[in-house]
Order: sequence, then C-alpha cells, then structure tokens
Amino acid sequence: MNNVLPSPFVIAEAGKCIGCKACELACFAVHNDHNGVVAAVGTVTVPVIPRLHVVRTESFTLPVQCRQCENAPCAEACPVQAIRREEGTMVIHEESCIGCKGCAMACPFGAISLNKAFSNGKVVPQIQLKERQHNAMVRSAKVIAYKCDLCRTRDHKDGAMGNVPACVEVCPVGALSLVHPDTSVSRSRTAAAMRL
Amino acid sequence: MENKVLTVCPYCGSGCQMNLIVEEGKIVGAEPADGRTNEGNLCLKGHYGWDFLNDPQILTARIRKPMIRKSGTLAEVSWEEAIQYTAEKLTAIKEKYGPDAIMGTGSARGPGNEANYVMQKFMRAVIGTNNVDHCARVCHGPSVAGLTYSLGDGAMSNSIPEIEDTDLLFIFGYNAAVTHPIVARRIVRAKQKGATIIVIDPRKTESARIADTWLPLKGGTNMALVNAFGHVLIAEELYDKQYVEKYVEGFAEYKATVQKYTPEYAESITGVQAAEIRKVMRQYASANKAMILYGMGVCQFAQAVDVVKGLASLALLTGNLGRPGVGIGPVRGQNNVQGSCDMGALPNVYPGYQSVTDDKIRKKFEKAWGVSLPRKVGYRITEIPHLVLKEDKVKAYYIFGEDPVQSDPNASEVRETLDKLEFVIVQDIFMNKTALHADVIFPATSWGEHDGVYSSADRGFQQIRKAIEPPGEAKPDWQIISELATAMGYPMSYRNTEEIWDEMRGLTPSFAGASYRKMEEQGSVQWPCPSEDHPGTPYLYEGNRFTTSSGKGQLFASEWRAPQEQPDQEYPLSLSTVREVGHYSVRTMTGNCRALSQLSDEPGFIQMSQADASSLGIEDGQLVHVVSRRGRVLARAQISNRVKTGATYMTYHFWIGACNELTGDYLDPVSKTPEYKYCAIRIEKIADQLRAEQQVQQEYEALRAQMHVEARPV
Repeated sequence: MNNVLPSPFVIAEAGKCIGCKACELACFAVHNDHNGVVAAVGTVTVPVIPRLHVVRTESFTLPVQCRQCENAPCAEACPVQAIRREEGTMVIHEESCIGCKGCAMACPFGAISLNKAFSNGKVVPQIQLKERQHNAMVRSAKVIAYKCDLCRTRDHKDGAMGNVPACVEVCPVGALSLVHPDTSVSRSRTAAAMRL
Repeated sequence: MENKVLTVCPYCGSGCQMNLIVEEGKIVGAEPADGRTNEGNLCLKGHYGWDFLNDPQILTARIRKPMIRKSGTLAEVSWEEAIQYTAEKLTAIKEKYGPDAIMGTGSARGPGNEANYVMQKFMRAVIGTNNVDHCARVCHGPSVAGLTYSLGDGAMSNSIPEIEDTDLLFIFGYNAAVTHPIVARRIVRAKQKGATIIVIDPRKTESARIADTWLPLKGGTNMALVNAFGHVLIAEELYDKQYVEKYVEGFAEYKATVQKYTPEYAESITGVQAAEIRKVMRQYASANKAMILYGMGVCQFAQAVDVVKGLASLALLTGNLGRPGVGIGPVRGQNNVQGSCDMGALPNVYPGYQSVTDDKIRKKFEKAWGVSLPRKVGYRITEIPHLVLKEDKVKAYYIFGEDPVQSDPNASEVRETLDKLEFVIVQDIFMNKTALHADVIFPATSWGEHDGVYSSADRGFQQIRKAIEPPGEAKPDWQIISELATAMGYPMSYRNTEEIWDEMRGLTPSFAGASYRKMEEQGSVQWPCPSEDHPGTPYLYEGNRFTTSSGKGQLFASEWRAPQEQPDQEYPLSLSTVREVGHYSVRTMTGNCRALSQLSDEPGFIQMSQADASSLGIEDGQLVHVVSRRGRVLARAQISNRVKTGATYMTYHFWIGACNELTGDYLDPVSKTPEYKYCAIRIEKIADQLRAEQQVQQEYEALRAQMHVEARPV
C-alpha cells in the first residue's frame, strides 16, 4: 500500500466534558488487571495512575492524552528505543524504560507521566540502586513512563468497531472518541466537495 | 459462574439502572443497563462504587454483629440480647418521659422504601410519636415545603429525560457535573440540541462553562435575585397574563413584594449586572419550553423555602408547568431521599404526603395499624441538639442509616447532644462517627444485599435486587425494626419487601398502582400512579391543575435576608460546603472503594481563589488550618480561578477536613434546614508542612482504629 495510513487516537471535546474522571478510573482499571484492581479480593496498594489526565482551567475542562504522533517526538527523544510503533500505536516498553524523562519533556501535549512501576500490587524494585529510608538502605523503586496505548492489551467487546478504548466506552457524556484520521479526513473531504 | 443482577445505583438521585456482575458470591464489576434515566450510561461512582461491599476497610469496617455498650465499651452480643435490651430501654423511656421523648430517623440511602415505611410505622404505631425525620431536612427539605405550598407536590414536576428536550435550561445553585453526572449528560445534550443554558452560581461550574449566560451572584443573595427576576417579568409585562388569571393565585401580594427589587437594586446586593438580569428574564419568558433545575445552592441557606417558592413563581408567571420539557426540578441528592420522603419518614406526613393532622387520614392509618396515632407534628432532626441540650425534651434517638456527626452542622454540638441522650441506637452498615456515641448498634444489610424499591429524583419507583449474601449477622433493616416492634408488644412480621410495599400501596392513593409487577414490566413507575391500569406520570400538573388545596398555583415572594454569620476581621472569608464527583455523602461507601479512594482521599480540600491564596502565602496542595467560631480542621488548599475572592468551598465527605466542625446551625425558619452554604472562617498557613502531613497520617490511623479497621499499614 502506497498511502500512509495514519494512526488512530483518542481525543476529547471540551464542550461536552463534565470533568467527572470516569475516564481516568476506567483507564487505571484496564491497565491494572495485573495489580488486582478489578479483582474482587485483595487490597490495592497501587496509586491511581491514569494514562489520560483531566485538565481543569478557568475556561476548559477536558482530558488530555497521547495523539499517537506519526513523527513521535517521544520516540525520537528516547535514548534506549523503549518507545516503538506497534500496529499504529506508540507503545512504551516498560521493561526497557530507564525513566530518563526525555519523552515526557519532548511531548508537546504533556501526555506522558513518570511514576513508580507496579507488579502484583507491589512496587517493582531496582536491581542495584538503593536509597536511605528511615535509616536503612532499601532498593529504590523502578520508575517508568506511562502513556495511552489505546488499550491495546484489553479484551475488546466490540470487534466490529475496531478497538474501543476504555475511556471512550465509559464516558457518560460521549465527550471522548477514537478518531480514525483516514475515515475522518475522507468524510471531511466529501463534505467539502458537496459544498463546492 | 458469572451472574448478572439488575439493580439501581446507590449513589445520587439520578436513578441509574445497572447490572452487578457476581462471581462466586462476590461482586467483581458493574455495567450500565438501559434504564429510563441513564440509557446505558453510568458515572464513575456507578462503575467503581460497588467495592465497599468487599469490605476492604480503607476508612471504616463493616458492622458484622450487634453490639451493646457495656461499662463504656461496645461489646458484641447476640441478636436476641440486643433486641431485648433495646426494647426494654425504649419501653422504659416511653413510660417515664412519654413517647415524644423518643426520636427516630428514616434513611435516604441504601435501605430502600420498604424499610422507611416500616420505620415510620414503628415510630408512629409502636412508639406513638410523629418524631421521625431524615436527612432530607438538611438537603431538599425546603423543596418539599416550598413546592408543596406553591404547586402541591414537593418533587420534580418533570422527568430527567425531558431535560434534553427543553428550549431553555435555567440552572440555579446546582452543579450537576459533580452531584449528578448522568443529569449533567442531559444538560450537555440539551445544549447540543440547541437549548439556551442560563446558569446562576457563584462558582464557574461545568454547566456555567458551557452556558450561554452565567450570572456569578454573590453567595447568600438568592432571594434578592429571584425577586428581581419576578420584578422584570411583571415590569416588562413578560409574564403570561392569561395563564396567571386562570391558574394562579396571589398575584397582587407578589407584585407588591417584588416592586422594590429593580434589577439595579438587586445588582447592588447580588453583584449581577442589571442588564443581565433583564436579558435572562426576557429569554426565559420568550422560550416556548423553559425548565428550572436547582440544587443545594438554593436549599442550604437560612432563607431557602422562600427562594424555592420564588423560583416556582417564575415558572407559574410564565406558564412553564403542566407540559413536557418545562417545570421546576429540585434534583435530589441521595439515591433514595425522594423515597424516604415518599414513605413518610417526615414528622408531618404519612406515606404519600398524607397529613398527620388530617383526622380522616389519621383514622385510616389507625384502622390499618390497629392503634391510635398521635395527632401532633413531630420534631425535625435539626431541632434535636436544641431539644436535648437546652430543653431536655428528647431522651432517646434511633439513628437509622445516617451519620449526623459527619453530615450535620456544628459537629461538636452534635457529639455533645449524643452524649447527653440517655439512649442512642445506631443501625448501619459501617462503623461511623455517630456509632462511636451509640449504646446499641444493629448491623444492617447493604445495597446489593437486599431487595427493595428506590425512588429516583423524578418520582420514579425502581427495584433494587439482592446480588450477594450479607456479611456476619447483618439483617435487612425492615426485619430488624420488625423484631424490635414485636419485642415491644406490637407484632410485625413481613415475609418480604413486596408484602410491605403492598401494605403501603393499600394506604397511599397516589402510589396505589405502582406494583412490583408493573415496575418489573416497565422498569420504572413514576408517581402519581393511582391504579393498576395507570402507567405512571412523567410530568405533573397536566391541564394546569395543581394539587394545592385551591387547585391553583401560589405565587410567593419575600424580602431578602442576608446569611446569619457574615465575615469580619477575625473570620474574613465565607465558607460554603459542596461535593466532589468521586465521593458520596459521609464517604462510608465511596471511602471504602479502592479506586475511588485512590482518586481523592483525606484530609479533603478547601477551594480558594488565587488572590486569597497569594495574600496568605499559600501554595496549591499545601495543608492549611481552617478555623471558624465552632471548630478547627486541617485541609489541603486547592487554588482555583473558578471561585470568587473572599469565598471558599469545602466538600463534606472528608473526616479529617470535616467542614461540619466549622459550619453553623442557623436554620431556615420553615424547613429547619441549616445554612451550610455560608459561614465565616479564616485560613491559617502552616509553616511546617512535613509535620502537618504526618499529623494527617496519624489522624487517619487513629480514625481507622476507632472505626474497628484491623491494624495494617495504609
């Protein structure tokens, strides 16, 4: 295929968003299956780490998330190539991430945040690096970059529509949508042609 | 095996239907169902708010066994002992001081309508008093009083789905995005369908942000603004003369009272520009269909009933009643606060708002219940501190599914009241601040563990269903109350909630046709529903026949009164209590949900303007002390450019930053609703933030220990 097929991405409409953060929690739940968040028993010790962030200013309220940039500055900034494009999604490979913050600085949307890595509800420790805590030397927490991955690992209910990310599905006011640039652009093109 | 149980969300009055997903006797998830009000949508509380049923013990622990205070400490006992002990104590108090020395509450939360019916029956028929009331008093009590006076029914005149099909939405003191996200969805849809949105609120809420016009009035000036609206409608002859002539009474007196409230005069009080006042009234009057929605920004003032009547008057003057897509909507805050009012957990009415002072009605209940019933209207919950501490009239308090120490104003006075009472019964699902003062604790089943009916804010009866078994020895509320009644010599035995519901329907003409079967078939039945062949009523007052005694709508205006406690040199800021979207009420439920508590936790926030923060040298996220004449708490500063300078806001969910340690107990003279939305405070900067953070942790740990949470690291 000669045509470039642009990656889909999630985007929100400020005119609809009510700032309820259902998207943040849905995102957190979907990405923390391995931490026991959606399971019925056990105690969550992991903080809520959403991969999209509801921003509230005087005139705006809406969640901000990754645009899956075609020329991804985050990937360009990553010194260890931990950010790769996979099936149209920019994915951070957590095991390779060194927590250098380069991607977070490079992202023009502020869509990448750094936080501790968790597995099975526990902080993932560093192998060697230690720090002083309460007069004892303990292994430091591994810190990694988090961002929207379009819920690529999720079991999707809706196969026909393609992958519907959890945030889009949960939003009670329909403020979030998964945009397929190719179909959107061709729709705009058709609409424009009709007006000519 | 995965099993789905259709029920109604236990948070807020939107009445969203949902499926609980149950695996091996545990709830593992929730998904939206296609309910009348939610149409396949849930907010974050609906999606993630079921986790408290797993008792993760984040804030408090579930109560699993009955307890009696023995030599100062609460000890677990058998049901038999707890019921017998309580029956003897209540009987002795009744004999010594008379039935009016005993007060009881309904519960607007999990228990459901049947439990509230049984509770008010217990207080009236077994104790022999009308002293039964509940948290509607501190919430939409003014709506029940005001709308009953103006229109006849103290409830939303129209339905939640109609919101999106109106031409103009007039939103007064109501922050739907936070309190009812699924109602906010209708507001967003109304906007998209082309409706004009007008928002009156001191804060720039999400509705204000998307509004065509936002009137940022000064807190505590509602009546002045509402009078000015009425003034404009009359002065500019925008009102519907024919409608007023045919269907409305009290025009001359109304006109005389609003006469002096010119937009310019109102501007001097409210800070809202006179031109804006005129503009919005021209829009409101010219819209084909205009709907008023209002919330706590109207009701939680010492002048609240008057403002409710004033808002109803605007709808009456413009003929915006008796049709779809119009009317006036007090959107009820708690999931079943409409229902506990419907069931007569109020000191002046039996189920279906039938007056206790009406001889014919009382005789009907006397015949059905086989006892003679008191004719005197009972006490309201907000009068209890005064009645106990000052007048020494109330001796026992049966608190059912409420936490007044956390939810009622002036918490230190509430604690003093509970300690002075001879006998306090707490019936709840979780340990709470009020339970610490109890002499007896009854463990009740929670939403998800019992059947019943909730009433949504728009008068919709909907069934809740049992999904899992209760923990320990918890019993359904109606069963506990029935056992207590039986032990006190008035046998009550119901096999299930349907039997209770059918007894209630038989005594309540306006609910008579709302059978379980009809609810099952239709999903929801809106009252009035007078007969088996009646489908229910989406909007009230068809044909402009009002349910007031004369059948006509009543206009009413009153002089504006300023809030009781004004800021001064010592306490220079105003404080209003508000809510946040991820938490609910006193937080025993959402504070025990893992995801929700992670999103926002103790000590809670105080919202203030950038200007106020700068002048105090406070940065966003820092801990501060908040001080009023009544108390002092820690809270986290949240600097927002959506609030006015001089005004601050605290959510009432948090236990460390408990704003009700600060609020005053000034009451509306009619509904006795407290002025939560206005008192004077000061904020003190804390130099040693690290120590303050440690103090929050220590207070949290101490609280959790008091709440019987098993010791483990946070």
